[in-house]
Amino acid sequence: MSVGERTLSLSNLDKVLYPEVGFTKSQVIDYYARIAPVMVPHVAGRCITLRRWPNGVDQQSFFEKRCPGHRPDWVPTAIGPGDGDQGIEYCRLEEPAALVWTANLAALELHGPMARCHDLDTPTMVVFDLDPGEPAGIAQCCRVALLLRELLSAVGLEAVPKTSGSKGLQVYVPLNSPHTHQHASRFALAAGQMVARDHPDEVLVEMTRSLRRGKVFIDWSQNSRHKTTIAPYSLRARPRPTVSTPLAWDEVADGADGADLAFEAEAVLERVEALGDLFEPALILRQELPNPSR
Amino acid sequence: MARAIWSGAISFGLVTVPVKLYSAVSRKTVRFNQLDSKTTSRVKQKRVNAEGDEVPYEQIVKGYEVTKDSYVIVTDEELASLAPKASRMIDITDFVSEADIDPVFYDAAYYLVPDELARKSYALLCKAMEESGRVAIANFVMRTKQYLVAIRPTDGALMMSTMVYADELVPTEEIPGLEELADIEVTDAELAMAGQLIDSLTTEWDAERYHDTYREQVLDLLEAKAAGEVRAVEAPAAADDAAVIDLLAALEASVSAAKEARKADAPAEKAKSGSSKKAKKAAKPKAKSA
Repeated sequence: MSVGERTLSLSNLDKVLYPEVGFTKSQVIDYYARIAPVMVPHVAGRCITLRRWPNGVDQQSFFEKRCPGHRPDWVPTAIGPGDGDQGIEYCRLEEPAALVWTANLAALELHGPMARCHDLDTPTMVVFDLDPGEPAGIAQCCRVALLLRELLSAVGLEAVPKTSGSKGLQVYVPLNSPHTHQHASRFALAAGQMVARDHPDEVLVEMTRSLRRGKVFIDWSQNSRHKTTIAPYSLRARPRPTVSTPLAWDEVADGADGADLAFEAEAVLERVEALGDLFEPALILRQELPNPSR
Repeated sequence: MARAIWSGAISFGLVTVPVKLYSAVSRKTVRFNQLDSKTTSRVKQKRVNAEGDEVPYEQIVKGYEVTKDSYVIVTDEELASLAPKASRMIDITDFVSEADIDPVFYDAAYYLVPDELARKSYALLCKAMEESGRVAIANFVMRTKQYLVAIRPTDGALMMSTMVYADELVPTEEIPGLEELADIEVTDAELAMAGQLIDSLTTEWDAERYHDTYREQVLDLLEAKAAGEVRAVEAPAAADDAAVIDLLAALEASVSAAKEARKADAPAEKAKSGSSKKAKKAAKPKAKSA
C-alpha cells in the first residue's frame, strides 16, 4: 500500500479485531488512513505510546512505549520519560503513513503525554480526565464537564471537550505557552477540588476507587510529565470501534440530558467532514493559567 | 463460571445424595512475579543441594528429620499405602448444634451442589437441617487428605466447611501473655462504661461495608503503571499543598467576581435571555485566537 510517498506492506488484513461487530484490521487501517489529516497534528511531535491488540479486543493487549526496532526508517523516535532515570525511545507519528503503520501493528489505541518531545517539561495543555464510577456514566461526566467549563470561563479560560471513547470524558485547557507540569497539575487539582466541594454528591478528586461509586472522578493527575492520555481521534479497544471524539460544547449539554455520545469510526469520519477538527483549539489557542502568588 | 473441584456423594444413614463441590471463596490477593531488576526477565528457582549443585527432580526424596541432621527417608509408595482411600463419600457421622462450634475450627468453605436427579433429596436434607438448627459433621477424603467437615444450610443451599482438628489448635497456655490475664480484676463501674461504649458502636453486620482498600490501591497503582504511567506511591491526599490552596483561592475570587458581574448585567439583559455576556462568549464551540 502507498501512503503519500511511503510504501508499506500490510499483513493479516482480514483479521477480525472487533469480533462483536466483525470490524477487521483493514477497516482499522482504513479509519486511521482517512482520519490522519486531522489526527496527525495532535500526535505529531509527541512521544506516543502504542497499545496493541494483535489478536483482537477480547484478547491480551500490551503497551509499547519503546518504539519497535523493526519500524520503517522514516518513523523517527524521540527520548521520553522512562521508568527510572533513563529515558525511553518512543515513536513519533509525524505523517499519515505512520498512522497506517501503527494500525497495521494492531495498535488500536494511541496514547500521548501533555508535552511535546522537544520540550518535555512544558505541557501544551491541561487535561481533566472525567472517569465515572458505576452506575454513573457519560451523562454525569457531561454534567461535571459543564460545571468545570463554567469555572474555567470565570477565569477567562476556554476549554475543549472530547469523549474518552470508552466510558468517560476529557476536558482540555489549551495553553501553548510556557507552563510547568507542576503548575498544570496544581491548577487541575484546585479546579477539581472546587467543583468537588460545591458538588460533593457528584464529584470527587480522590483516587480511591471504592469511593467512586455513582460519582465522577476528576483525575487531575494525568498532567504529570510521565502520564499519557488517549489521543484525540484514537480508536478504543471496546466491543465496538468507538473513538475518542472531540465534541462541541452544545453536544456536551445534550449528553448531560442523555444524548448518545458514543461515536464509532465511520461516524467520526463523517463528523470531521461536516464539522472540521473540533479539537483544533488545542493546537493554536494560547492561554495562561492563573499563577499561585507564592 | 466456577468449576467443580470434586464430585462424590453425601452419605447419610441409608441415603446417598450425589453432589459436586465448588469453592465458596475466591481469594483476591494480588500476585507478583519475581523479576531481575536489570533485565526484567523472570527469576527462576533451581533446586540445589547444600553443596550448591542442581538436583534433578527425580533424584529428590522425602526425608523426615528425627534428630538434628538425622533423617529417615520415606518413599512415595510407602506413603501411598497409608493414604486414606478416596471413597467419594462425605460420611455424615453426627449432627450437632451450630452454636456449639467455635468459629476457630472452620477453615475453607465450599458449596455442595446436587446432581440433577438428587435435587429432591438434597432439598429435603437441607430443609430438615434448617428446621432442626443442626449442623452435620462428616468425614471425607480429597486428594489423599482426610478432612473433617461441617455441613450447614444457608439460603437453601448446603455449605461445607473443612475444619481444623482439635490437636491442631494452639492451646492458649502456649501463647505468652494470655495466662497473666486470669488475675486481672475489673470493677462494675468500669464494666458498665465499657458496655456503653460497645452499645454505642453496635450495628448490624454487613459484609459489604468492609473492603480490602490496600488491594484496591495496589490494583490502581498497577493499572496506572501498566498504562505507561509512573506514579509516586505516596500520591495525592493533596489539598495541603500551599500552591494548590492559593490557586483555589484565586479561582474562588474569580468565580464570585464573575457572579457579581452577571448580577450587574442581568437587569439590562433580563428581557432577552438571562445569560451573561461571558457565558455566551464561552459558548462558541471553536475558539480561534492564536
